[in-house]
Amino acid sequence: MHWIALQTRPDAAPTVANRGTPVDAILALGWWALQFTPRVAQAGDAVVFEVSDSDRLFGGRQQLIEQVLASSLQLGPVKVAQAPTSLVALAQLQLDPADYRGPDRLPLATLPQAREHLPTLKRLGCTLWGDLRALPRGGVARRFGAGLLDGLDRAYGLKPEVYTWLQIPEVFDVPLELFAQVETAPALMFAAHRLLSQLRIWLQTRQRGIVAMELVWEMDARRNTATHGQLLVRTAEPTRDMQHMQRLLAENLARITLPAPVLYLRLRSVETAPLPGVSDSLLPDELLDGDNLNHLLERLSARLGKDCVLQVMPYADHRPERMQIWADFCKESKDSKADRPSTTPVSFAATKKRKIKVAAGPQTDRLLYPTWLLAAPLKLAVRDDRPLYQGPLALLAGPQRLEAAWWDVADVQPALAGSGKPLAVLRDYFLARSEPAGLLWIYRERLTGAQQEAEPTNRSTNRQEASHWYLQGLFG
Amino acid sequence: MSRLSLAALAESAVLWHADALASPIGAVLATGHAALDAQLPGGGWPVGAMVEILQAQSGQNEWRLLLPALAHARPGPVVLVGAPHVPFGPGLAAQGLASERLLWIATAEPASRMWACEQALRCTDVVAVLAWLPQARSEQLRRLNVAAAEHAKLLFVMRPAQVQTESSPAPLRVLVSLQPGNDGVQLEILKRRGPPLTRPIHLAARNGRLAALLSRNQGQAASRPERGVLVTLPTDCAVESANALDRITNAS
Repeated sequence: MHWIALQTRPDAAPTVANRGTPVDAILALGWWALQFTPRVAQAGDAVVFEVSDSDRLFGGRQQLIEQVLASSLQLGPVKVAQAPTSLVALAQLQLDPADYRGPDRLPLATLPQAREHLPTLKRLGCTLWGDLRALPRGGVARRFGAGLLDGLDRAYGLKPEVYTWLQIPEVFDVPLELFAQVETAPALMFAAHRLLSQLRIWLQTRQRGIVAMELVWEMDARRNTATHGQLLVRTAEPTRDMQHMQRLLAENLARITLPAPVLYLRLRSVETAPLPGVSDSLLPDELLDGDNLNHLLERLSARLGKDCVLQVMPYADHRPERMQIWADFCKESKDSKADRPSTTPVSFAATKKRKIKVAAGPQTDRLLYPTWLLAAPLKLAVRDDRPLYQGPLALLAGPQRLEAAWWDVADVQPALAGSGKPLAVLRDYFLARSEPAGLLWIYRERLTGAQQEAEPTNRSTNRQEASHWYLQGLFG
Repeated sequence: MSRLSLAALAESAVLWHADALASPIGAVLATGHAALDAQLPGGGWPVGAMVEILQAQSGQNEWRLLLPALAHARPGPVVLVGAPHVPFGPGLAAQGLASERLLWIATAEPASRMWACEQALRCTDVVAVLAWLPQARSEQLRRLNVAAAEHAKLLFVMRPAQVQTESSPAPLRVLVSLQPGNDGVQLEILKRRGPPLTRPIHLAARNGRLAALLSRNQGQAASRPERGVLVTLPTDCAVESANALDRITNAS
């Protein structure tokens, strides 16, 4: 058995590192200790944990202790003590470490069970643990009750120590009182960072990854504004990478203006998913350089807006403008995983798995498609029956006739059908070249049957005048 | 400095003779155009260095130059930052760049484009970044160049032809223009690790299918210029005549 006791220094002045303390600081210490061992218990205002079973995992007792001491520095000013029993470790916390000379030399005031009998014991001449231990057991039991002997036996490791071990809650929900009022949203990051490091411990202990979390802040009620504000941050795949969550949070907070100063923060896990730990690779090649694609996508859409980060989805249609849909990557993934609405994992793999059906003919025909499409077909000016785009166009090949979407016209409401804007597509496509602009994909719109009936004179007199030329694509 | 260390330096990649092409510092990716490969240090687009492509109108020539290389690069996303038009997925897919590899960051603001480029370069999975940065300043480009080198990514920056007189940190600058009279492109390498190139490179840079169609019609256009709508040559050409364009040309 090897016990370590941990306590926040009561005299510690608030510094930048511990600005904003979790409301339950002891619990935070306990969670931190859970990374070393599952046997963590709260003892008064300190935390004790037993590490002897974790020796091998951390590469030996010495290594383990060094790690505990090294990482305890992040917690801010804390006192650490270690001993074979928890009571000795706790007693050491109350002393200057230099004063410790074995359990027999510990003052009786440091033994919790002896506290109520201290005046009597002092009059008996017992001030140290060793003094009490030297007294006959029977007499001590009769005079002070079994509790004192019991405590003493536990302190010396003669009886097992009984603790209720700390358990991590099902849902992460940790409040934080801010050290000072925070006026701007980005400044909340300092405090949120602390909560995130606690969240990381919680996730690690529960072997889960965060998918969605909510940051709630409570504002000064004296301003007659909203008293609460909240921010939901989602990520595509469960993660324990708090650096990524911190970046997402920072990007989102940067766009928020606070109506009143913030006094309290609260971080809540909204959705988590199981995430086993991964082993580090031994080989240097496999170490990732840079960050992963999902993180990139999320960071981009957090700053630029979701509709700026687009992925393409092929769509089965004959009309070029409908052959593809550029959609934000979140929407795409939600559609493809409609059966699992609870999570929104995005990956390029997901797109690959989609069955891609494209209506157009053999693959070689698609080699005649342009590489750029105009957002909307551009109507071209016509001179001497020839379309113009940055000068006259030379038609190189065509026409390729496209008749599609007449089935859409049948479905459409009468009101829309009568508006003179036909949905049916009747086009003759040409490859054309312009000297300054290069190779272009243009089409001549043919009149629909309804239009031809409406403008019979036009059709009979001069067909060319009725035709409209449009630029739709560029062979860039 | 001793002769020995000078010799060692001369053999390293950072130093090259002014009359010969440098050996590349990093990996290269074959461009897919033999005539261009012959003029580039290492015989391809440098991986981990910025390539600047200058042209009169953005969107005019970049795909025909870059598609063969991108199609043969390792699989992974190709990030387009601020493309001038809508990239046509089916057209690109037919030429070897699968549409699920495309990621389009459609932002107009120069600062956002710059930021997005840098973020994309940092991502492990990304293979190449194509950025349209007409307003980029030299120091911003330098930053991108460093990021590309650090993370060994292909980075192509498309800029207008006017900036060819400005200084640029890109180790390779190519001015692309259309050949007058036909569909080819003309490349002038403005800057490379090697001697200046006196003659421009001429490339057809079209996929075989399109090139065959155009060449058949090219002859016809010359012989019968008075026809507005072009209908050409009966040929014994090997291309299968599945497409309407071929049927028309073969029928006439």
